[in-house]
Amino acid sequence: MPGKIDARLAELGLELPNAPAPAANYVPTVQTGNLVFISGQVPNTGTELLKGKLGADATVEDGQAAAKVCALNLIAQMRAATGGDLDRVKRVVKLLGMVNSTPDFGDHPKVVNGCSDVMVEVFGDKGRHARSAVGVANLPFGVAVEVEAIIEIE
Amino acid sequence: MTGLIEARLDELGIVLPPAPAPSANYVPWAISGNLLFVSGQGPHGPDGTVKGKVGADLTAEEGYEAARRVGLNLIAQMRAAVGDLDRVVRVVKLFGMVNGAPDFDQQPAVINGASDLMVEVFGDAGRHARSAVGMAALPWGISVEIEAVVEIRP
Repeated sequence: MPGKIDARLAELGLELPNAPAPAANYVPTVQTGNLVFISGQVPNTGTELLKGKLGADATVEDGQAAAKVCALNLIAQMRAATGGDLDRVKRVVKLLGMVNSTPDFGDHPKVVNGCSDVMVEVFGDKGRHARSAVGVANLPFGVAVEVEAIIEIE
Repeated sequence: MTGLIEARLDELGIVLPPAPAPSANYVPWAISGNLLFVSGQGPHGPDGTVKGKVGADLTAEEGYEAARRVGLNLIAQMRAAVGDLDRVVRVVKLFGMVNGAPDFDQQPAVINGASDLMVEVFGDAGRHARSAVGMAALPWGISVEIEAVVEIRP
């Protein structure tokens, strides 16, 4: 029987990508007590990386779309970390959203909303998190957005 | 009696630098429950501090070596915080910041310098969640800064 959150994902028509494995000496998630720390996720759709710099060659809408894909990758990592049962997610505690942007770009919060909105759509009130949304000078492989997370699990 | 991790450091020929003191109204580390939060550390070493932009002034390989130095400073702070490094249960999370040229996109290859060190020293307990991102600038022009969250035995 699918869990409540799996049913909610289906209802929203959201398909999770495979949880990507890291390419080096680190791991996608570490659990300590009831907290799970999730490595920064990039906008990997499964077939491509969404690249670009906000304020130059990517629009706010492009950035939001990239942030949404980061969210799906974060949820895929949550599913892997909870043994496949997303109903064990008690709270999305904290997101750090980093936007690849030009020095004068200022709409980082709007971009990272693309990720935050998915968390609330999928997890309801449990998806409401503390957050920082900042601009960075560059990101791995030139991706537009990267988001890391801390969640609490049952 | 020497601890297991101290013995491992000897075996690797690693001498930890002195744990640097912060330059203002904050502390190098704080313990909350079983978690140790270590302030962002720089690539300080006995022969000075590694400065410059990776991808312009430094190659990615030189950035990797700088990140390894940062890792040594992180472990020095862990030792200052817990006394006995065998109390480190798990390196939970690293946040790696690379001072890179505007088009530099190999942050993961740089931060691997610290990630590889953690696994060399702590074994599987050194495998952490991680983000590796590019900054427009870092304090005093240092090349790499990394902060850490560590689980410790009380």
